[in-house]
Amino acid sequence: MKPLLEVRHATRKFAGLVALKDVSFTLAPGEILGLIGPNGAGKTTVINLISGTLKPSAGEIVFRNEIINRLPAFRRARLGIGRTFQIMQPFPGLSVLENVAIGALFGRDGGHAKLATAREYARECLEFVGLDNFIDKRADELGGPGRKRLELAKALAMQPQVLLCDEVMAGLNHVEIDEVIYIIRKVRDRGISVLVIEHVIKAIMSLSDRLLVLHHGEKIAEGEPDAVLEDPVVIEAYLGKRRS
Amino acid sequence: MKPRNMGLILAALVLLAGLPWYGSDLLIQFGINALLLAVLAQGWNIIGGYTGYASFGNSVFYGLGSYGVAIAMVQWHLPFGIGMGFGVVLAVVFAVLIGVPVLRLKGHYFAIATLALAAVMTAIVSNVGLAGQNIGLVLPPLNDDRLFYELSLGLLTITTLTIWALTHSRFGFGLIAIRENEEGAAVMGVNTTLYKVTAFALSGIFSALAGGIHAYWITFLDPDSAFDLTLNVKMIIMAVFGGPGTVFGPIVGALSLSAVSEFLSSEVTSIAGLFFGVVIVAAVVLMPRGLADLLRRGRKMGWGYFAENIRRHRL
Repeated sequence: MKPLLEVRHATRKFAGLVALKDVSFTLAPGEILGLIGPNGAGKTTVINLISGTLKPSAGEIVFRNEIINRLPAFRRARLGIGRTFQIMQPFPGLSVLENVAIGALFGRDGGHAKLATAREYARECLEFVGLDNFIDKRADELGGPGRKRLELAKALAMQPQVLLCDEVMAGLNHVEIDEVIYIIRKVRDRGISVLVIEHVIKAIMSLSDRLLVLHHGEKIAEGEPDAVLEDPVVIEAYLGKRRS
Repeated sequence: MKPRNMGLILAALVLLAGLPWYGSDLLIQFGINALLLAVLAQGWNIIGGYTGYASFGNSVFYGLGSYGVAIAMVQWHLPFGIGMGFGVVLAVVFAVLIGVPVLRLKGHYFAIATLALAAVMTAIVSNVGLAGQNIGLVLPPLNDDRLFYELSLGLLTITTLTIWALTHSRFGFGLIAIRENEEGAAVMGVNTTLYKVTAFALSGIFSALAGGIHAYWITFLDPDSAFDLTLNVKMIIMAVFGGPGTVFGPIVGALSLSAVSEFLSSEVTSIAGLFFGVVIVAAVVLMPRGLADLLRRGRKMGWGYFAENIRRHRL
C-alpha cells in the first residue's frame, strides 16, 4: 500500500545541536506506528517537523505524495494532519466545547463553516473521548487526565487523516491508560493513521502495529514491536552496555 | 440574544438617538466626544480584546482617518463621504504594511513596537506638504452638532453590530483562539497571520471613521492632535474598564468613564486628573476583567468578588 506520510532523511539542527539526524520512515493508511526512545531522543522534534511547528534543516516531509516542507502549520492542518501536544495547549479561557469546536471550525479542508454544525460535531468528538459530561467547564478547570482527552478531542474534531499523539498517556493511571488505548484504537478503526509517542512501554507494545526507536536523534531500530524490544541495540540504548 | 435584552438595547438606542432633541448643546457635544471614544474603544476591542494584541498604534488609524477627510476636503475639494473613504483606505494600507511585520511580535514586544508608531507618524506628517506640514489644515466649517451626533451614534452602532457578528462567526472564533493560544490555533488550521492582520485592519477602519468625523466636527487638524498617544491610552482604559472581548463592555466603559471624567473636571477642576487616576487604579485592583465580568460573576458572589480579585492577583 502507498504510504500516507513519508519522512525522508529528515535532519533538524538547533544551533550546534543535532536533534534529529537523517531519519526516514513511512506511515501507511490506517496504521498505528509507535515512536519510542529515551529522553531527548528527538521524538517530539519528529512530530514538530510533520505538523509544521518546526521546519527541517534537511530532508523532506511527504504527505499524500506532496512535499510539505515549506507549508506553514495551518496549511498542514487543512491537509489533514492533526496533533496533540505533550505540554497540553488548550484555549484556557474557553469552555471545553468551544475548545473542540475550534478544531471543527478549522481543521481539514477548512472544517465546518457554520458554528452550529461545528458545535454539534465537537459534541460528538467529546462523547468519543468520554468528556461529554464536562462540556460547559472551562478548559483550565480540567484536571490532567481530562486535559489529555481534551487534546485528543480537539485534534479529532479537525477530522485528520493522520493523528500525531505526543505522550497522551503520560501521568495517567492504569485504568486511564487503558481507556486512552481504547480511544486510539477506535480512532484507527475510522481509518485514521496514528503516530504515537509514548514512554509507557507496555501500552505502546499492545497498541502499535510497528515500532520505531530513536536514540540521540538517530533511528536505531524499526519493525514488529516484539522483535524491536529484543534488539540488543535497543536494550543498550535504554539500559546501557552490559559489562562483560 | 434574549428578547428582553434586545428590547433594552433598542430602548437605549432610541433614547440615545433622540438626545439632540431633548438635550442641551453642551450635552450633545459631550455626546459626540463620548460616542467617538466608544467607537475607538470598540475598534481597539477587536485587536486588543478579541485577538489579544494590546495595540498602541490605534491612534495612528484615528489620525489617518482625520487626515484622509482633511486632505480630501481642503486640498482636493471633495465631499466629506469620499474623504472618509480615503481615510479608510489609508488606515487599511497602514494596517497591512505595519501589521505584517509587527504582528509577529508577542505580548509586551508588540505593545512597545506599536508605541513608537504615533511618534513616527507625527514626524512624517509634519513634513508632508499635502497634509499642511506642522501647521495643520483648517476644514470648511459645518455648524450642525445634531448631524455629527447622529453620525457618531450610527458609526458606533455599525461597529458594535460588526463585533456582534464577529462573535458569531468562524472568523471571530479564530481570533479568540489566537488570543487564547496562538501556537495551538495554528496547528488546528487557523491562518494566524491573515487573521491578525485582518483584525488589525478592521480595528483600523472603525478608528479611521471616528477620526474623520471628529476632524470635520472640530474643523482643525494638526499632527500632534491627530496622532495623540494619550487618546490610545484612553481607548485601552475604556475598553478594559468595560470588559475587553465582550460586545458591549467597551461602550459601557467609554460612556461611563467619559461621564466621570466630565463631571470631575467641572466639579473639582484642579485635581480632576488625580481623581480620574484613582478611579482607574481602583477599577484595575477591584475588577481587572472589567464591568462585564463584574455584572456576570459579581452578582452571584457579592462583595466576595472584590476580595477574590485582590487575592488572586496578589495585591
